[in-house]
Amino acid sequence: MSANLAISPELSKEELDPDFTTRMIILGPKANVSENEIVSQMHLLDLPITVKWTCYGAMVSGNEEDVMMAIKEIRKLDPYNIFTKSRGFPPGDPRRCRGHRYGPREGFHQMESEYRILADVGDALKNPKDVLIEKPKPVDVDELVEIVNESIEKEDSAEK
Amino acid sequence: MVKVAIYPPNSLVLGDLIERKGHTVLALQKAMSKKVRDPEIDSPPMNITEEDPLKGLKYAAIEVPSGVRGRMAVIGPLIDEAEAAIIVDDAPIGFGCIGCARTNELTMFCLRKKDIPKLELEYPTNRDETFDFVGKINKFLDTLDGEGGN
Repeated sequence: MSANLAISPELSKEELDPDFTTRMIILGPKANVSENEIVSQMHLLDLPITVKWTCYGAMVSGNEEDVMMAIKEIRKLDPYNIFTKSRGFPPGDPRRCRGHRYGPREGFHQMESEYRILADVGDALKNPKDVLIEKPKPVDVDELVEIVNESIEKEDSAEK
Repeated sequence: MVKVAIYPPNSLVLGDLIERKGHTVLALQKAMSKKVRDPEIDSPPMNITEEDPLKGLKYAAIEVPSGVRGRMAVIGPLIDEAEAAIIVDDAPIGFGCIGCARTNELTMFCLRKKDIPKLELEYPTNRDETFDFVGKINKFLDTLDGEGGN
């Protein structure tokens, strides 16, 4: 019999609350803090949140207001190298937890791909570069007519 | 505070940069979060409610594969809500919910045709490009009406 990869979760009353949110705190490669430090610091905040220590940083869940407050405080430790992202599933949800689905969750691969540029993103935030945003302009009608005529001429000469 | 739609809709870098500037990011995870914690669905996201195919039909015709319509039922309302958009081309990210090329094309098409401020960028492949990438996103976000941030 094949394994059940879509186990029905037993969500708590708190997790079913519309205000409940889960955020992932991801440390960039150049972070000056460790996973341990951010988890300890979050516990010291004494907020009604659940904190889970993970390989990439931490996962924090609870009421949205408390979670955002915790993130704001944690980011002060290393503003340019602590990144956050919201997560759809609550922590330990059997539908996504790797302990139940025999391999990393899809989101892990996504995070792994983006992790490669996080060091440079952190540096870019620290030393912002002045850039110019070029707005795409439509092609000028005269220029378009010229291009069409040129391509017609080319086709005609090729046929001859 | 402006609601900014992003492509890829679950990007870590884009979501983080937008929230740093105090704007609201219309991320896929937030839409999924509501869905996976809906008590009416026994085993989300494997099952859908009867309303979802109807929502998907707003963005894709009936002959379009059901997977596209199902995905658009989640992504489409985010596009409708958007007040600005950041689209990243050639992002090497296509896992999970966004691992469908046709849905991704339709998402980008819907964002491009919407009359809102848009920023289109290439996914950075080296350090210099990353500096430009972050600079352009921050500059674009500064031009939107927003204040504060964390």
